[in-house]
Amino acid sequence: MDLPPPGIGPLSRLAPKPIKFVLNWGRRYSLWVFNFGLACCAIEFIATSMSRHDFIRLGVIPFAPGPRQADLMVVSGTVSDKMAPAVRRLYEQMPEPKYVISFGACSNCGGPYWDSYCVTKGVDQIIPVDVYVPGCPPRPEALLHGIVHLQEKIAAESLGDRYTGTGEPVAPPPPPRPLSATVLRRPIQPPPEAEPLSTEAATPLVLDAAPGASTQPMPPAGDAPQASPNAATQPVPGTDASGRSTTRGDHDPSIIPGLVDDEDDDQIGRSSS
Amino acid sequence: MKPAWVERFGDEVSTEETHGGLAVGVPPELWVEAVTFARDELACGFFDWLTGVDELEMGFAVVAHLYSLERRHHLLVRTRVPREDPRLPTVTGVYRGAGWHERETFEMFGVVFEGHPNLIPLLLPDGFEGRPLRKDFVLAARVAKPWPGAKEPGESGHGAPSRRRVRPPGVPDDWGPHA
Repeated sequence: MDLPPPGIGPLSRLAPKPIKFVLNWGRRYSLWVFNFGLACCAIEFIATSMSRHDFIRLGVIPFAPGPRQADLMVVSGTVSDKMAPAVRRLYEQMPEPKYVISFGACSNCGGPYWDSYCVTKGVDQIIPVDVYVPGCPPRPEALLHGIVHLQEKIAAESLGDRYTGTGEPVAPPPPPRPLSATVLRRPIQPPPEAEPLSTEAATPLVLDAAPGASTQPMPPAGDAPQASPNAATQPVPGTDASGRSTTRGDHDPSIIPGLVDDEDDDQIGRSSS
Repeated sequence: MKPAWVERFGDEVSTEETHGGLAVGVPPELWVEAVTFARDELACGFFDWLTGVDELEMGFAVVAHLYSLERRHHLLVRTRVPREDPRLPTVTGVYRGAGWHERETFEMFGVVFEGHPNLIPLLLPDGFEGRPLRKDFVLAARVAKPWPGAKEPGESGHGAPSRRRVRPPGVPDDWGPHA
């Protein structure tokens, strides 16, 4: 059966630049992800989707009901030649526009099975890949980095360019910037500071009762980062992610990795345009 | 279990006490009979796996692991078929679960299980040629691509090789671009 080649409507193709920006903006932060988990890397993917790393805060929504409802496919694991037609078939079932992250050494290039008789030497031999995440297996932070990288790529693309090879990009591709793994690690979020009550005697009253009580009371929330300087999840000292959370109140954009070092990601027209 | 085997088969079988249990070597003519004996007389009702071993000029060994849930003993039944004409009667009549294991052993080693109801490849992709678990199977990716795990200059074909280039293991001399 002859199907038309994948494409987009003329409205989306000919839309003015601000509209394209808005479309890209919506697309990059609502990535329904389809986990093609084939081996141990899938466990790292699951870890990334769970509460500690929690890529839903980046707008990546896991557990799409199927490939037909997904925007992003993460191939995590060893693709064998027997499995390759299924990968290809499920990729073709995804609606346009669709993106692929190759997660781990096996799906990047074959990994330790580089000389195997039955392993596909890289999933990019059968489907186009947007972002490669190296590692064996990569840590969840690496997948977060890959997702942020893909979002930057989506923000910079023009769909007309994607399907026809012509057209100008909405925004120039972001310059490479040093993004260490510690920046991606989420610092401990202290609870929001409670509104001070009308009487200031409430807090000292609890502290005064401390020596006599058998259990120590909970210290105030503002002291929490100083109270546990050696906790395992603290970022490495010296990075700019530390100590930032105490000054910002409820909403802390620094938990979004892409917004840590420059905060003008969402402004139309970066300084170079 | 060793006296039972000796009493039943005499000196046709060889027994060996291994770390995991008794290993019994039988000639290929007695293969089905031995497995049936293990199931009926030794209460080995659980068929765990069956596979092959490439023993080069000695032929292919076919090994079946059986387990008795009642008496809790393990049993390895082994036989050996010649390399030129590897044929063995099937044991799917004894254990129906042996069907897939024999299909896998057939496609990986080329051992033909006579009487198997559906002896077609199980795991390999369509159109695969060769018996990949035989030791003379050449891994073609080694011919086309150097080892990617190099850390030092000179390893894996990068930079000036400090030593004479050696063929990757298992690759014949007349294969590849440097033949």
